[in-house]
Amino acid sequence: MSNTECPVNETLTRLDHTLYQNRLPHPRSHRLAEEVHTLVVDIAMGRAGEAHLPSIDKRIAALLSFADDPNGVALGQWLAAQVSDHQEVFLSHIKSQNCATGDCDFLTPAPCQMACPAGIDVPTYVSLIGLGKDAEAIEVIRRDNPFPWVCGLVCTRPCEFMCVRGRIDTPVSIKFLKAFAAERALSWGQYRNPEQAPANGHRVCVVGAGPGGMSAAYYLALKGYAVRVIEALPSAGGMIMVGIPRYRLPREVIDREVAMIESLGVEFCFNTRFGSDVTMKELRSEGFEAFFLAIGAHSAYSLGIPGENAFPQVREAIGFLRNVALGDRHIPGRRVIIIGGGNVAIDTARTCLRLGCEDVTLAYRRTQNEMPADEEEVEQAEEEGVRFAMLTIPVAVEGHDDTMTGLRCLKAKLVSMPGSDRKSPKPIEGSEFVMPADALIAAIGQQVEHHWLSAVDGLEWSRRDTLRVNTATMATAVPGIFAAGDAVTGPATVIEAIGGGKRAASGIHRYLSGIPQPKMPPVPVRRQRVEWTEVPSKTKMVLKRPEMPLLNMDRRRTTFQQVELGYSENMVREEARRCLRCDICRRCGLCVQICRDKMGVNALSMGYLEFDRPGATNFRQTQDLCISCGACATNCPTGAMLMEDRGSERILSLCGTILNRQPLVHCDTCGAVLGTERYLDYIRKRLHKTAPNASGKRRCDACARQSGLNSSKAAMPLT
Amino acid sequence: MVFHRGQKVEVYRRSDDESWEPFMDSLVGRHGIITDPDTQINDPNALVEVSLENKGTYRLPQDCLRDLEL
Repeated sequence: MSNTECPVNETLTRLDHTLYQNRLPHPRSHRLAEEVHTLVVDIAMGRAGEAHLPSIDKRIAALLSFADDPNGVALGQWLAAQVSDHQEVFLSHIKSQNCATGDCDFLTPAPCQMACPAGIDVPTYVSLIGLGKDAEAIEVIRRDNPFPWVCGLVCTRPCEFMCVRGRIDTPVSIKFLKAFAAERALSWGQYRNPEQAPANGHRVCVVGAGPGGMSAAYYLALKGYAVRVIEALPSAGGMIMVGIPRYRLPREVIDREVAMIESLGVEFCFNTRFGSDVTMKELRSEGFEAFFLAIGAHSAYSLGIPGENAFPQVREAIGFLRNVALGDRHIPGRRVIIIGGGNVAIDTARTCLRLGCEDVTLAYRRTQNEMPADEEEVEQAEEEGVRFAMLTIPVAVEGHDDTMTGLRCLKAKLVSMPGSDRKSPKPIEGSEFVMPADALIAAIGQQVEHHWLSAVDGLEWSRRDTLRVNTATMATAVPGIFAAGDAVTGPATVIEAIGGGKRAASGIHRYLSGIPQPKMPPVPVRRQRVEWTEVPSKTKMVLKRPEMPLLNMDRRRTTFQQVELGYSENMVREEARRCLRCDICRRCGLCVQICRDKMGVNALSMGYLEFDRPGATNFRQTQDLCISCGACATNCPTGAMLMEDRGSERILSLCGTILNRQPLVHCDTCGAVLGTERYLDYIRKRLHKTAPNASGKRRCDACARQSGLNSSKAAMPLT
Repeated sequence: MVFHRGQKVEVYRRSDDESWEPFMDSLVGRHGIITDPDTQINDPNALVEVSLENKGTYRLPQDCLRDLEL
């Protein structure tokens, strides 16, 4: 082994190769190899514990003792030698979480992938979409997230906040590219499930058919578990079905992706409430060995003001949205007030408009700057005609004879409270007023309905009334019971629930297989290294993030049709070309440093390499200043910066972005490549004083030496 | 301090909150971006989602975060 190879990485490659090419047809050796693979991945990712190496040894011994499969024995022998010969390196990976060769670090994902709570390999799928390989892109996404279409429409897109392109102009529109690819793959019949492992005889019960529950069900079913999902509602989706309105996420999108999970054999039991219709004891007696609790946070906070419970026209937002999602299309009232400033409040207001309410006002205690709702959602609500009453504190609901007539409010001002750096709303004395209304909907937050889990002994709850788990494994305090989603985080995002579900599936698999659990949450895994696409630097700088076409305003106010109409194919392919391929370039800045400090050229303007205070970036500048010396490319640790001679040109590119293109200069005598004119000028200027070129001819070293020899022979007198 | 989406922050200290787990000690000193603040009620006790450079995305208590844009 050379000094540049990491034995951990080498072991992983060998196992990948063996498993991928199905070289272990016997299920027992295949399973043992998979388990060793899982453990070595932990070591390579720096999240293994002390039990990992003994656990690997145990599985290697099992492979060696299983004489029925000679291939398994051979693999066991190789693994035994590998682990024994390089035990110190394996231990150093575990203890210091460091790979001296950098091979394992080479697997370090791009910032967008690191940002994704489900760890989706963003650069890979964006590149595949750029190449028109939409179905392949969806395959890559579904290795980490079974809901690419749902997330393409409603994800809060943490990836885009970390997108390095955002430091130059605007982030790549990752979310909408995903939606396009999912829709295209489904439409063309190319959206497929990965191959499923044979049934392993274990049964797992998932409580809650939301994004977290269904993600866990998907990954467990792929591993061969028999999974039953219990759901209190009449259909699958959880909050994405009953909390997100149809104009943001059409039902068909959810149904199609749920159908893909169902087709893996996952059994759904709807209208079944855990804790009342079925109990843990009954499920255990049916043979379920592990449980995943993903019950969400469906209980609303109450306002706590007089009159709140006196009128039937006062209701809470999450129940209202649920009823609308399940088919109730009656207007709550002509004039409606929604209380709250979050996303649920905005969704409620926009839903009221679509149902036909004449006047919809959102009342919030602070100002628009403090509203926790997404800016885009607030803007769209304003465009559609939702009115905003800021600095408004509800005091009491007014009405008579079971009929609400208005909401008594106080105006507020924001004041700094002692010991706090956040301003709080303080009522202004004498500012009381009544907002006339015939319906009120409170959207001031949700919590977990934990009474449904009260019969499960041993579960621990946080002071936020959420289930307490180990977030590396999603295991609760009760062995064999795992949990994720809003029940653990409180009301959070779809992608967090999906990530939690995937992590829990891995935790459950390890629990039922006797594999030690990791100490750290998983590091996202790179799925491929797709070739980059060449783009001229000018194009790279000029391409702009496309605007999303929206449904016309009349339809937005009157129907539940999808508001965002989706990108066209041309927009998608062009947008994918804006990606900087941070999965290849690790932004170490060595190229900039060498060009500026060692060569004194300073041709690379790449201010985006800085995270905290990014400077200006101009890829076009390189064409004007670069001397094509190649020092940047030679020193690039990942091969992102590349210099190559192509035809009559020398080309410098960074992850496919053509930074410089210069004509080559050849030796006048033999025709060998000398470099570019600028490079030769640079050399001439540096050597001018020591080696003047008297002949004025361009010659390579060999021809120059030969020429010098011939001249001296000619000058030498023959004796 | 009200955190908003896209804000640059630093994990400047451990939190005493019960949600702080031992592995989170390795996050102290890291810079990142708020990707999902409390989108419900502006609760200073709510956990907020923050994406840390080279470290991944975590839901952390607000008392361990410091605004880098001030």
